[in-house]
Amino acid sequence: MTGPDDLAGMTPDDALAMDFALGVLPRAEHRAAELRLRSDPVFRAAVEAWQLQLSPLDAKTPALAPPAAVWQQIVAEIAPVRPVVAPAPAKPGLWNSLALWRSLALAGTAAAAIAIAQVGSPPPAPGAPPQLLVAALADADGKPLLSAAYDPLRGAVVLTPATQRDDVGKSPELWVIEGDKPPRSLGVIDIRGPNAHAISSKRLAGLAPGSVLAISIEPLGGSPTGQPTGPVVATGKLTPV
Amino acid sequence: MAPSQPQTSGAAELSALLARAATGDQAAFQQFYDRTAAKLFGIIVRILVERGDAEDVLQEVYVTVWRKAAEFDAARASPVTWVATIARNRAIDRLRARGSRPAAPIDDAMDVRDDSPGADILLEAAGEAARVQTALAALEPRHADAIRSCYFEGLTYEALAVREGVPVGTLKSWVRRGLLRMRADLA
Repeated sequence: MTGPDDLAGMTPDDALAMDFALGVLPRAEHRAAELRLRSDPVFRAAVEAWQLQLSPLDAKTPALAPPAAVWQQIVAEIAPVRPVVAPAPAKPGLWNSLALWRSLALAGTAAAAIAIAQVGSPPPAPGAPPQLLVAALADADGKPLLSAAYDPLRGAVVLTPATQRDDVGKSPELWVIEGDKPPRSLGVIDIRGPNAHAISSKRLAGLAPGSVLAISIEPLGGSPTGQPTGPVVATGKLTPV
Repeated sequence: MAPSQPQTSGAAELSALLARAATGDQAAFQQFYDRTAAKLFGIIVRILVERGDAEDVLQEVYVTVWRKAAEFDAARASPVTWVATIARNRAIDRLRARGSRPAAPIDDAMDVRDDSPGADILLEAAGEAARVQTALAALEPRHADAIRSCYFEGLTYEALAVREGVPVGTLKSWVRRGLLRMRADLA
């Protein structure tokens, strides 16, 4: 074991590991060491040992709340990057909590956020590739609730929840609002796990830039009146990219 | 976001949230963010000082954590240590890219030693922190101060040597001897 005052006993790699963990290296060396961590387990172990020794010093650094906008920007960046893996079904989670529903209902249609990307918004020319629509639906805080992709070749909308939910006794229903017309149902949807929903092309015909999509929570089986009766949990305008 | 992390939430819960984030669970990731972001933002601001830069880096760090969540290995580090390390590395990279740090005398680095409520809310092993602080405090004061300045401010040996008016070799020797002595004390 190297004695505390025996610097000569330090290998160049141990010195580099120490310097990297301490954070004193110039940029190029810092980056080079970072790269080396990935391919050199011995070096990485040396760095991690120093990091473990030093990291308790962070306990004395006061926490500082970042502005809320930072989280919104993180969501904006991560949402389209990685598809959601199917969550375990029927496990009561955040989605199921009354508080969440209440806050979403309070947030109302104006505050709920939805981002819709439409590729090739005008009707496609004959022989042109069919339009693909994708959407990321987030709540008022920017937390994604689900993503949707419309595949015209299959005539299906694929819905992928971003969080677990359990709708015992309730049915989420998807609506489109075109101009001043009343909401038009696109049908009851299942958002417990990734699902393809066949929606007739006649129903989807109205989807155009400027149309508003909405999801409401309805009694089992869907709205009894043909119009939304439960809380609207997300709305947003279709916009072409 | 309120810094309302529970005192004894522990590494296990944060590890579980990271594991869920690794499968694409954004709700779990948001919980992880809510419970760690204030800690990391404190660390980043300590190094970068300038808030706008610090916010950019915080965003960068969590995007990295989201993408690398599957690589987290609870056997090698606590979740907080893991993300704090990522935060330090990104902050130092930004600092080097910028070329300089807003002037902050060595005394400012000392200030962060002060306890403040909630300062170590996320630390699983408060006893470990105390041991490290004790080992640091046992060093020759100028060695300990040099280590603190490097660690808390992200300074290079060269920059700190200039600031302290000592040859860089001397400064490097203070830091290395100090860290090796700490390692021996903690072993």
